[in-house]
Amino acid sequence: MSGEAAAQTQLRFVTWRSETTRVFQQIIADFETSHPGIKVVQEVGPSSSTEFHDLVSQKLRNRDSEMDVFFMDVVWPAEFAAAGWALPLDGFFARSAQNAFLDAPIRANSYAGHIYGVPMFVDAGMLYYRKDLLAKYQLRPPDTWPELVRQARLVISQERDPYLTGYSAQFKQYEGLVCNMMEFILSNGGTLWDEQRLISTVQTTKAMEAVRFVRDDIVRLIANRGILAYQEPESLALFTQGRAVFHRNWPYAWEASNDPGQSKVAGKVGVMPLPAFSGQKSAATLGGWQLAISRFSRHAQLAWEFVQFMTSSETQKRIALGTGRAPARKDLYHDPEILKRSPQFQSQFETFTLATPRPRTPVYLPLSNILQRYFSSAIAIADSNIEELARSAARDMDRALDLLRDGRKL
Amino acid sequence: MSNRQDPVWRFLLPSFLFIGVFSLYPIIESFRLSLYRMILTMPWLGAKFVGWENYWDLATDPVARGSFFTSVLFVAVTTPIEVLIGLAMALVLNESFRGRGWLRAIVLIPWAVPTVVSSQMWRFIFNDRYGLFNYLIFGSATQHYWAPLAEPGLALMAIMLADIWKTSSFAGLILLAGLQGIPGELYEAANIDGATTWQKFRHVTLPLLKPALLLALLFRTIDALKVFDLVFVMTQGGPADTTNILQFYGYKKIFAEGMIGYGSAIAVAVFAISLLLSILYLRVSGSGIIRREPAL
Repeated sequence: MSGEAAAQTQLRFVTWRSETTRVFQQIIADFETSHPGIKVVQEVGPSSSTEFHDLVSQKLRNRDSEMDVFFMDVVWPAEFAAAGWALPLDGFFARSAQNAFLDAPIRANSYAGHIYGVPMFVDAGMLYYRKDLLAKYQLRPPDTWPELVRQARLVISQERDPYLTGYSAQFKQYEGLVCNMMEFILSNGGTLWDEQRLISTVQTTKAMEAVRFVRDDIVRLIANRGILAYQEPESLALFTQGRAVFHRNWPYAWEASNDPGQSKVAGKVGVMPLPAFSGQKSAATLGGWQLAISRFSRHAQLAWEFVQFMTSSETQKRIALGTGRAPARKDLYHDPEILKRSPQFQSQFETFTLATPRPRTPVYLPLSNILQRYFSSAIAIADSNIEELARSAARDMDRALDLLRDGRKL
Repeated sequence: MSNRQDPVWRFLLPSFLFIGVFSLYPIIESFRLSLYRMILTMPWLGAKFVGWENYWDLATDPVARGSFFTSVLFVAVTTPIEVLIGLAMALVLNESFRGRGWLRAIVLIPWAVPTVVSSQMWRFIFNDRYGLFNYLIFGSATQHYWAPLAEPGLALMAIMLADIWKTSSFAGLILLAGLQGIPGELYEAANIDGATTWQKFRHVTLPLLKPALLLALLFRTIDALKVFDLVFVMTQGGPADTTNILQFYGYKKIFAEGMIGYGSAIAVAVFAISLLLSILYLRVSGSGIIRREPAL
């Protein structure tokens, strides 16, 4: 740290392109004003999580000391912690400070007793629906999946609109498919894996039942085939064009579907927790972004000051007001100004607190690829042999998890 | 070969250096890595020498086997079609007519567009709601619209179509060069003998075009085996893993999952297949592509 006080120190912040760049630029400028001697250089990466992962992990793999602070997707902390890439923040980020944040993202940022990131935004899967269409047929928003299917079929058969589909979501073979399917499986009382015993549980009855329901009831009865190639933007476009009764997406879809400039259904949209199977609890996959510090940064202390500033209550409030993204700090869900701008946060708060992280393990990406292959094969082919596909996926998952036992030091 | 004491190697050295640094070294390094178990996200495992274990895993990995067959199917379908379309293009462009220069430039456009851009374009074309593909077939009868990229039986065909659109003109370019190397006297002689157009094509053009045809086939085969961007942009390997070609599988293993050893084994396997096919083509063509005596 010699001479840092005198000379200007550069902090390199690797980020993705935000929809609201101006808000971030203003905040960073304010940080520089209040911290003379620090200059923050932004490096903008791709906005797709998978591609951003390739960029950041390549820098970390090369022990690039240029990168100080970076955005971290909620599924990466275990991987980056185990690889020794993310700096443990225990010394900076005390337990008492962690309590101010939502539990789910704090849990997602913890691995083997240490904490590796500070939550910035939180995301969770939720159900959007057409208030006007449900009201027209005197339907109450569905609590269970079978009810959702019944309602969708009723509306479609009565509306006689060839453009209208019952359900729009993200069923392409990619990371989003794992998020969607995990919600079905969890809301049937199933799980993807056993975290203690490090074995797969996708071949259990509860998990397979949910997958079969998606194939036979969602894909076959109420969705259009195109759903099997949809990521977030295509599925949202279908909903905002007024061509879907129900839509599963992250919180950002609220703003998009209620903006008259880009949505034909503005003002006709309701949002609620995703349904469950009868007798079970609703489940939402946790998403979101954290700030982390590279283990190879030469300015860890200053990097922390930047992270602390960016995740402070004031900054998160500014971001929430400027972008409409859901903040990670609990108290902001009671902030009158934020609730005035984003009233839906009030009802979404419960979903955020109950959201479930995807498996926290350094082998998450291999697991995810196995699951993507399994889910896509199971739901895209009408007579797929789900038992056999699930058994084979479980075998592959167990093999990936075995790597952790082998010479395991964590 | 001449007996003069020319310092031939001095002229060859730059190309040897180039190939050595950019081709040979990466191949050898990939091969070395493929003999290790090395997982980026688990540095505590270290880099353990495991001999042929990765190759054994590859041979018994059902996903890799599926990917291998997908790649083979892709090559087997696209290559002959591309060369045939290329041949038709070359025959037309070899005739003299007004605007030939323009047309020659225009047919190369698909090949000149960066693949990532054209892949994105084809992804839009095949969209199930507003795609041009559906509009051309069904017009405004939207209830019949297909979702080619969502159907396990169609997605690979959609990618093949995009590849054929993109690279046929490259095959055409090679064949056009071949056609221009055929001496005009041969056709004059054939005319005097009263040969029909078909006979001229069958007995003059085709035999003399054989080296160029094999060259086009060779280039297209190797390129088709390496196809990556189309899959990356259009399907990410789905639906139901039906477009997970070998090259994309290897990419995911190395870059997403951090399995350096296993991913390298896949890369080496793709290289070995290309090499085998190249040798096979060269054998079949006899001395057609590489001649020791001066070329035509």
